[in-house]
Amino acid sequence: MSETNPGTWLIEELRLKIVDLLDLIDIRPEEIDPDGPLLGGDLEIDSIDVLEMVMMIEKDYGVRIDNREIGEKVFVNLRALAAYIAENSRESCG
Amino acid sequence: MTGPPIIISGVGIVSALGTGPAETRKALQTGWVATRPLSLFPTPDDRPLPVGEIRNLPMPGVFPRTHVITRMAARQALEGVGPAPDAVVLGTTTGGMSTTERLIRQGVGDPQAYRFHSPASVSQNIAQMCGCRGPVLTVSTACSSGAVAIKIALELIRNGKARRVLVGGTDGLSRLTYYGFSSLQLIDPKGARPLDLDRRGMTVAEGAAMLLIEAGDPRKTGIEILGAGLSCDAFHPTSPHPDGAGALAAMSSALDDAGLTDQDIDYINLHGTGTADNDLSEARAVRSLFRLARPPLSSVKGAMGHSLAAAGAIEAVISQGCVAGQWVPGNSGLKTADPALKLKPLARAQNAPVRTVLSNSFGFGGNNASVVIGRSTSNHRPAAAGRRPLTVLGSACITGAGHADQTYNRFAAGKSCQGMLPAAEIARYLPPKQVRRLRRLPRLALALAQQAHLDSGRKGMPQSIFLGTGWGALSETHRFLTGLFDSGEKFPSPTDFIGSVHNAPAGQIAMMTGATGANVTTTGGNCSFEQALMVAGLLAGGETKNALVLGVDETHEHFSRLLDPSCTAAQAPSDGGGALVVGPGLEGHGVCIDLAFYSGVIRCKGLITELVNALGRPQRINTRFGFVLAGIPAGDRPQGAGQLHRFRELSGFNGPVIDYRKLTGEFASASAVAAVAAVRFTAAGHIPGALCGGEDRRLKGKGGLVLGLGSCPTAMEVARR
Repeated sequence: MSETNPGTWLIEELRLKIVDLLDLIDIRPEEIDPDGPLLGGDLEIDSIDVLEMVMMIEKDYGVRIDNREIGEKVFVNLRALAAYIAENSRESCG
Repeated sequence: MTGPPIIISGVGIVSALGTGPAETRKALQTGWVATRPLSLFPTPDDRPLPVGEIRNLPMPGVFPRTHVITRMAARQALEGVGPAPDAVVLGTTTGGMSTTERLIRQGVGDPQAYRFHSPASVSQNIAQMCGCRGPVLTVSTACSSGAVAIKIALELIRNGKARRVLVGGTDGLSRLTYYGFSSLQLIDPKGARPLDLDRRGMTVAEGAAMLLIEAGDPRKTGIEILGAGLSCDAFHPTSPHPDGAGALAAMSSALDDAGLTDQDIDYINLHGTGTADNDLSEARAVRSLFRLARPPLSSVKGAMGHSLAAAGAIEAVISQGCVAGQWVPGNSGLKTADPALKLKPLARAQNAPVRTVLSNSFGFGGNNASVVIGRSTSNHRPAAAGRRPLTVLGSACITGAGHADQTYNRFAAGKSCQGMLPAAEIARYLPPKQVRRLRRLPRLALALAQQAHLDSGRKGMPQSIFLGTGWGALSETHRFLTGLFDSGEKFPSPTDFIGSVHNAPAGQIAMMTGATGANVTTTGGNCSFEQALMVAGLLAGGETKNALVLGVDETHEHFSRLLDPSCTAAQAPSDGGGALVVGPGLEGHGVCIDLAFYSGVIRCKGLITELVNALGRPQRINTRFGFVLAGIPAGDRPQGAGQLHRFRELSGFNGPVIDYRKLTGEFASASAVAAVAAVRFTAAGHIPGALCGGEDRRLKGKGGLVLGLGSCPTAMEVARR
């Protein structure tokens, strides 16, 4: 939506990072639907990819996702992931 | 045909619980939990996770931690039990990793400093310490390594390859395992509570255990290794099959091997790591096998943590102690058994009549092993399982020259195959989604498996995998360590950790092909492929089951020159490997391959005389073999050239001798490429003229020899049926 909406920026950024980090074959960043399932769908992202994303999110945004229960909620789709990062990141707190 | 009883005549054990079987038993009987926050190295957040660490370990001399604890366990096992063992089989994954980590972090560039890096350096060290003249085998199948080693040792004796084997498993704590399992979110911050309702994961630990096992006198009684079984989930790199299908197959196979039924088992020593998935899948497997009544069962990993490659051997020693002392350990850490598991683990140790124990060990790559230990209840003792030599049904090789036929054709034309194929080219014919996370070594392994299967023309895929690799997945290991140190030990990569284990490529092959039989990765520098061939000869069995035997190595721009002296001396970096689809026994026509000589002992005098004698002396050598492919590693050039001269002298062999590393380039499993070439020359019935100075030379029904020279001489025979 507008440039002031951090969620949109974050979604764009995460799309780029995920494609690069996970070496997703034949997938362009914009093809990741923010509301589509992140796991088990066409992207073929699996549990090992999720762990790799967990590391990246902690490293780049200072947000820890260190148990299965939180992980299951956060990795539902890209929008939920971006929202969780926006809510919990150090930058947004500051 | 009945084999001899395989008696356990010595045991040694070192873990967080203590040193020696008596201390270990006392700790387990009192229910002591030995896991404590890590003290071995500082962690960035100052909140170290609990580990099973051996406190106050004396570290004399230059040896890394794994070597030190293995030596302690080996000394205990050999104390007062007579002459040196005639074979050593050791399961380990970390080798000298704790030292390598420090060297990498400090940027040390002297190859000499890395001489204890490899898992095989531990087995070599033990063989030298106890005066063993070989064979020495190193098994690296992640957390099942120790139990897989026991199965191999058992078959060495059953096959008459050895009478006394020192066998075990070992892994010292390292950053790789501590941070690696942490990155997978598999660690319980409160310490492992296997089978508990509130379990959150495992506890990483260290330890070593060794057993001296030997062919015993059938008239005397003793505690025996009664049987063992292997399987592969062929499902996922790290997660077990949810139904426990692979675990069930390994347990059933072990019972069959021992000639027992589930009702004969008095105690089950569970793998029981404490992770949600492992415990659930293992419970399902146990319930499927033990339908009528279940014996007492427990996991000891709540007390001592999970000592990874050592666990199978540690738990074999504990199981032996249970039979000897008529007791069973409790499941430390258990408060409320998880009702979903539908098992009743023993909360505390107790005295119990124990004649037989089933001990489970499962690992990454879906690699499963079960061992049955106890006093024999019948006279059923199986003879050798494997049938040698192996019939070759298909072959493939990859080098810098390209895929299968590109490499073979260039080799046969006497042209250099040196160099490294780009990673994308290696994966050209592989499913893109399967390889996206894979780096160099698993890509090479998958491509070789695919191409050898295609060459075999068989519909069914090979069911067992035997993979030899000199140095393992160097790209993943190096990336993991540098990524860890670059991030101040904060951000270890789970993908690189999973890929760093030596058996990850063989696990990937199983997933691609659906191979649910034995899945064994051997390692040991230039004779790793030969080790895989030996294990295939011991284990590949069954009426119609084919196996894949392959040797594969990658060259890494930083790591290889530090680890492999031949890579340091090489003209150009090269890598690749070779693969054979083999069938058991002597069925049909075609070409057979057999490992005729293997010692595995470094720098032992008189080995070439032994090698010539093992091949049947000059008369048989000149009657049976029309060519020799000689592998002289660049790092061992003067020694290897001298050995070749000695071979010619002793054997009187005057046929073509091809110095094949000049064609393949320098990498540890170059002998697998040579084996493929030898098979194809023998099948074609001639040696290409380009390799023997002129016209094609007819073999007139003869086969060929592939000699490995240098610090670890070997001989593979290739012959027509």
